[in-house]
Amino acid sequence: MKSTRLAILALAAASAAFLTGCATQNNAKYVDAKGPNTIVSLNSINIQDWNTAADKLVASLLASGVLERAPELPAVMAISRIRNNTQQQVDTDSLTKKIRIALNQTGKVVTTTTMGPDGRVEDAMAADAGAMGAFMAGQKQVTKLPYYTLSGKLLEDRVSVGSTKQVTYTFQLSLTTVKDGLALWEGEELITKQGQRSSVGW
Amino acid sequence: MKILLPVLALAALGLTGCATSVNTVQRANPQATPSYVADQRVITDTTLARKLSTVSVNEAKVSGNLLKIQVTLENRSTKPQAFTYKFDWIADDGMELSSPIDGWKQIQLEGREVRAISSIATNPRAVDFRLKVRENK
Repeated sequence: MKSTRLAILALAAASAAFLTGCATQNNAKYVDAKGPNTIVSLNSINIQDWNTAADKLVASLLASGVLERAPELPAVMAISRIRNNTQQQVDTDSLTKKIRIALNQTGKVVTTTTMGPDGRVEDAMAADAGAMGAFMAGQKQVTKLPYYTLSGKLLEDRVSVGSTKQVTYTFQLSLTTVKDGLALWEGEELITKQGQRSSVGW
Repeated sequence: MKILLPVLALAALGLTGCATSVNTVQRANPQATPSYVADQRVITDTTLARKLSTVSVNEAKVSGNLLKIQVTLENRSTKPQAFTYKFDWIADDGMELSSPIDGWKQIQLEGREVRAISSIATNPRAVDFRLKVRENK
C-alpha cells in the first residue's frame, strides 16, 4: 500500500515537472542570433541565410585573390545597386553590411559612404561636411574615388509538390573595377529550404 | 516459416532502399600536396563521433595573409545526415576574434560521403582555429 502511494506521488511529481517544462517552452527567450536554434521559415530570408550567404561570398572573393591586384591597399569600394527580385521586402544591407565589415577586417578594402547609386549617399552629412570644408579652405573637394564597386541581385524560386514547399534564394554579387568596368570577381550562393511549415532550430 | 521468408525478403529490400551511400572515383596517386595540421580532438558526443569522422585538417594562406582551414569530414553512416558546424578564430595573443559572418552553418552529407568544409579568417591576426560540430536534431 505504501509503495503504491509512493509510486503515485512520484508519477504526479514527474507529470508536474513535465507540464512545467512544456509551459515554459512558449515563453519568449533569448537565443544566439548566430546559433543553430533560430527559426527556419519558408516564406522569408532568415538571419542564418544572410549570414551563410555573406560568409560563402566573402570566402569566394578572398580565395580568388583579386583584392591584391588593386594598386593601393586598402582599395576603396562603393556599394552599387543590389536588386531585390524576391517576393520579400528586404533590406539588402542585411547582406552587404556583413560583407563590408568582413572585408574591412581583412585590411584590403574600405567602403566609401559618400558615394552611392543614383546620387543616394549613405552618409550625406559626411559628403556635405567634406564639400563645406573644401569650400571654406578655398580648395576643390578631393573625394576619394572608388577603385571597386559591388553590385548584385537577389532571386527567389518557389516550387511545391503536394504539401511540401521548396524555396531557393540566390545571392549574386559582382565586384567591378571602376577604371575599365570589368567584373573582376563574381559570386553566387544558393540557399534552398524545404518543408511543410516553419520550424525552430535547424 | 512460409510467412517468414517473404517478410525477410521485404525487410532486406527495405534496408537496401535506405542505403543511399555515395560511390566515388578519384586519382589513384593524388597530385595535391596539402599542408596538414596536427589536430587535437575533444569528443563530448560519442554518438556523433560514430556517425561523423574527421579525415584530415589542412591549412593555407589566401589573399596574402589570411588563414584558411579546410576540414575533410566523412559520414560514416549509409544514411544522409545533417550537421551544423562553426569555426572560431584565435589571434596570436590567444584572444578569440569575432566577425559578422561567423556563426553556425549547416552541412548535409549523403551516406558515406566525404566532403570538405572550409573557412577563411577575415582577420589577418588569426593564427589558430577551433571547429565545433554538432548533430542536427
